[in-house]
Amino acid sequence: MNWWVKRTGQALFTIWAVITITFALIRGLPGDPGSRIRDQAQRHNPSMSQAALERLIEARIPASYDDPIHVAYWEYLTSVLQGDLGYSTFRQGDVAPEIASVLPWTILIMSLSMLLMFALGLGLGALMAYKEGSRFDTALTGVSIFFNSIPYYVAAVLLIAVLGYRLSVFPARGTHSDATEPGLSVHFVLDALYHATLPTVSFVITGFGIIALTMRGNSIQTLGEEYIRVAKLRGIPDRRIAIRYVGRNAILPMWTTLLISIGFMFGGAIILEEIFQYRGMGWLMFRSIEHNDIYLMMGTFLIVTIAVVVSLWIADATYGWLDPRIKSGDESESY
Amino acid sequence: MSTHETTAADERAHSASDPIVEIRNAEVVFEMDRGVSRVLDDVSLEIERGEILGIVGESGSGKSMLASSMLDAVVDPGVLSGEITYYPEDGDPIDVLALSDHELRQLRWEEIAMVFQGAMSSFNPTMKIRTHFEETLEAHNYSLGEGMDRARELLSDLYLDPDRVLDSYPHELSGGMQQRTLIALSVVLQPNVLVMDEPTAALDLLMQRSIISLLEDLKAKYDLTMVFITHDLPLVAELADRLAVMYAFELIEQGPTQDILHDAGHPYTRALLNSTPNLDAPLEEMRPIAGSAPDPVNVPAGCSYHPRCSLATDRCVAQDPDSRPVDGDHVVDCHHWEDAADEIPLNHLANMEGDR
Amino acid sequence: MKVNPTDAPSDDESGTDGRRSRFEGSTLFDRDDADGEYRTDGGQSAGDGQMFADSEFTEVTTGQRLSEVFYESIYEPFVIAWSDWRTKVGLSIISLYLLLGVVAWVSASELLFLDRITIIEPARGDGPIRLAPFQDWSYPLGTDMIGRDLLAAMIHATPRMLQMILAGAVFATAVATVVGTVAGYKGGVTERSLMTLSDVLMTIPGLPLVIVLIVLIDPSSPYLIGIIIVINAWAGLARTIHSQVLTIREHSYVEASRTMGIGTPTIIRKDILPNLMPYILINFTSMARRVIYDSVALYFLGVISVQTIENWGVMMNIGYENNALIIPEVSHLLFVPMVFVVGLSFGLILFSQGTDRLFNPRVRARGSGTTKSKDDEEITTGGGAL
Repeated sequence: MNWWVKRTGQALFTIWAVITITFALIRGLPGDPGSRIRDQAQRHNPSMSQAALERLIEARIPASYDDPIHVAYWEYLTSVLQGDLGYSTFRQGDVAPEIASVLPWTILIMSLSMLLMFALGLGLGALMAYKEGSRFDTALTGVSIFFNSIPYYVAAVLLIAVLGYRLSVFPARGTHSDATEPGLSVHFVLDALYHATLPTVSFVITGFGIIALTMRGNSIQTLGEEYIRVAKLRGIPDRRIAIRYVGRNAILPMWTTLLISIGFMFGGAIILEEIFQYRGMGWLMFRSIEHNDIYLMMGTFLIVTIAVVVSLWIADATYGWLDPRIKSGDESESY
Repeated sequence: MSTHETTAADERAHSASDPIVEIRNAEVVFEMDRGVSRVLDDVSLEIERGEILGIVGESGSGKSMLASSMLDAVVDPGVLSGEITYYPEDGDPIDVLALSDHELRQLRWEEIAMVFQGAMSSFNPTMKIRTHFEETLEAHNYSLGEGMDRARELLSDLYLDPDRVLDSYPHELSGGMQQRTLIALSVVLQPNVLVMDEPTAALDLLMQRSIISLLEDLKAKYDLTMVFITHDLPLVAELADRLAVMYAFELIEQGPTQDILHDAGHPYTRALLNSTPNLDAPLEEMRPIAGSAPDPVNVPAGCSYHPRCSLATDRCVAQDPDSRPVDGDHVVDCHHWEDAADEIPLNHLANMEGDR
Repeated sequence: MKVNPTDAPSDDESGTDGRRSRFEGSTLFDRDDADGEYRTDGGQSAGDGQMFADSEFTEVTTGQRLSEVFYESIYEPFVIAWSDWRTKVGLSIISLYLLLGVVAWVSASELLFLDRITIIEPARGDGPIRLAPFQDWSYPLGTDMIGRDLLAAMIHATPRMLQMILAGAVFATAVATVVGTVAGYKGGVTERSLMTLSDVLMTIPGLPLVIVLIVLIDPSSPYLIGIIIVINAWAGLARTIHSQVLTIREHSYVEASRTMGIGTPTIIRKDILPNLMPYILINFTSMARRVIYDSVALYFLGVISVQTIENWGVMMNIGYENNALIIPEVSHLLFVPMVFVVGLSFGLILFSQGTDRLFNPRVRARGSGTTKSKDDEEITTGGGAL
């Protein structure tokens, strides 16, 4: 229980820290976002009154630059916590709903990639461990290392060139076809998955290698454990030993890898979405950079970070459920 | 050498009637980069039905290998040869090394069970104790209901709270609890033989004593034959009917416990007796054995103990001693066993005499 | 990294042994043993008759000490690592890139006499346009849209790349090592605050933060870019080093040093850091890889503003912008830099996979040929250890 409280507290602390960092970065910026809004508004509507302009600026900027820093900080903190992330000059609207509309796509490719990457990596790693020293093991070790040394965006570019354009088997850009109406129809889901294929594959083929190699090492170590030998002597069927004994105990230490991958893949998703013109968080972030849209940029950064913190928190919580040892002693930390 | 072993074994066969496990010329060999490592060297041994046999030796003397051999469970690169025969109460003798995988599965745990050193590492850390019992029963097609009742009874026989223990994960139990639970787990299929490899090594003295007395009760109640393997001679001497001493991957002396304690024939056994701490004997009399145990790749020629032996002569360097009967079941592998008593006095003897 | 929970000692001896060597690579233990032997044999060093004839109290010259440290923490691990083919190949690849870097640096340098030496001309737009690779051997890898030699551009991109990698990797490992050891050794409030800081930074996804920072700061120095890329990457490493320091701290020889009144900095420097060396080395390579990945990505997507084409990522960007994906004639603009990126990354991965065995105590023991008896013990004390 203590462990839970600690983890949750830490997650909340991190969120607070990130909001503070975001505030500091915006605040430390040269130039005043207020004047940018003013310029833009005046360009669109030169006849706007001064009072209307002020109201507009106030509505669009969570914390005024004229206030002393602690007041501004408090204002920013409370408005962020209420879901107000500021106004996007590029999208001509509030940042929060903009982000909410693209976030599901990022989560879709993230979870797909994560799932496939770990399924493939863990499976192959276990297989390699069982056939340690065989030609299969050696070959797959080489393949894993090689694929792992390809940056995911290089894989993405190659996949687009070959599968996207040359062979035209998968769509090279976008989240879904224009013709498909978003909704919970089978057609739409299949179309979305079809479009998610190449981004997902880019992650999976460049990421499974390290997981497979780690899993291989863990499994070999676990296979040498005394309890495996005792279980064999007790006559426990091989299948059960493979799953409940070797599998489970070899996968547990991989939790760290999983935790690290979450952050890494959210970062990677930003790059991939830009390459695939996939309208998720990353795509939005790049648009904000292109258009010098500071609140949108900081908003995407904030939300991506919070998404990572929440994922980590969930991962942490499930770890306690997977590994009974964690509850009684918090000696073994999951980092 | 083997021929002499056989004569010794024959001799024993006359006096002792009813073996449950018979090991003949067992040998375990590992191929290593540095050469062939012989970690069990031509060992012959009979375990009598219903006895408690103690096997004593330093760490690295091959005693664990001997234990694994009884179940044909030598770890992989090792190759076991020789003859291991199991005699069921009724039915034909079973040649253990000729069994199929399926038959071996039945022999292990149902007939001969084993408790390993380090109880903690014998349990799957991510599984409750209950699951360990249940899966063992299921794997051998035993009735789950009866089996779990027996498990509960066993656990309470070992002074554990059955429900608490069964619902715990291994790490939630203390070392002594784990060890007792492991003993219960090995007896749950009602085997006839229980082989224990250093079952008390990681425990404190008090816990060791209490496990020893629990084992005696368990043996009586469940009619077990026990093999107790340890480096701790005084400990096993309290429990065992018979002792076998290993040195350098060979058995060098065996006989009834009292004979070994009072009249050990082998200089090594005598040195071992003198080197063990004893509450009754003054500390200054305690003598560690000089030198170190031999390397399995490079065991000294002749009597393997000669480099460390104070009685060693040229004959010991040249010729490996055969087993000689001292009296009755007491057998020793030494050229100079008759001189040993005078050369190496046992400093605990006077005190022991008083006790018993 | 987390302390492996399934690591529970399998039996008394091999359990503790395994743990010890896994974390510290057993160098220090070996050395202490060796020292002890020197002394008792009436050997080399001056400490012979002293009561505490420990290396800590023995007056050893800095030179001796350095060569000793070099031998145990660099030379020996290196020999062991070198026996693995992956280390050989990996290190060769890395050396090749270093060589390219030096060649390009010398060629471009305007320092004194170096000014006159030009091994490879910087890329200028004087060749045929859009030449494919392997067609004309004066332009082995072809040329770009305005006739610049791709090979020259690639090679001249190496120094900046190496500067970035070096800055990033050195910064990250140094900060991580300092934070990890100090936290692990000081304990108390220092430990708690440093570790909380690490935890928070670890949770922030690296790339979005890096993008934000680069956009806001708009750096141009390769060193600064390198450092920004690892701005929070050190946190995870610091955590691991912290837990390893905690493990090492419990060892008897450190305890002994402390009992003898040796100061914390000395203990960290002499007892703890040498043991962490192989570990830090491996993480150095993974940080280096991270800098390559991220910097190339940022150049590729135009997040880092550039003035030159002499960068692998920028070259990829040019290729991408010129539709290299669709037009086969210019596809080499995209693929040539990719090969350079993947090559260096491959070399670094191989190197770290090869040196990984430094953490495997058994392989290590066999390699150095010192702990023979332990090896046997594992076999003879029963199958358990195997």
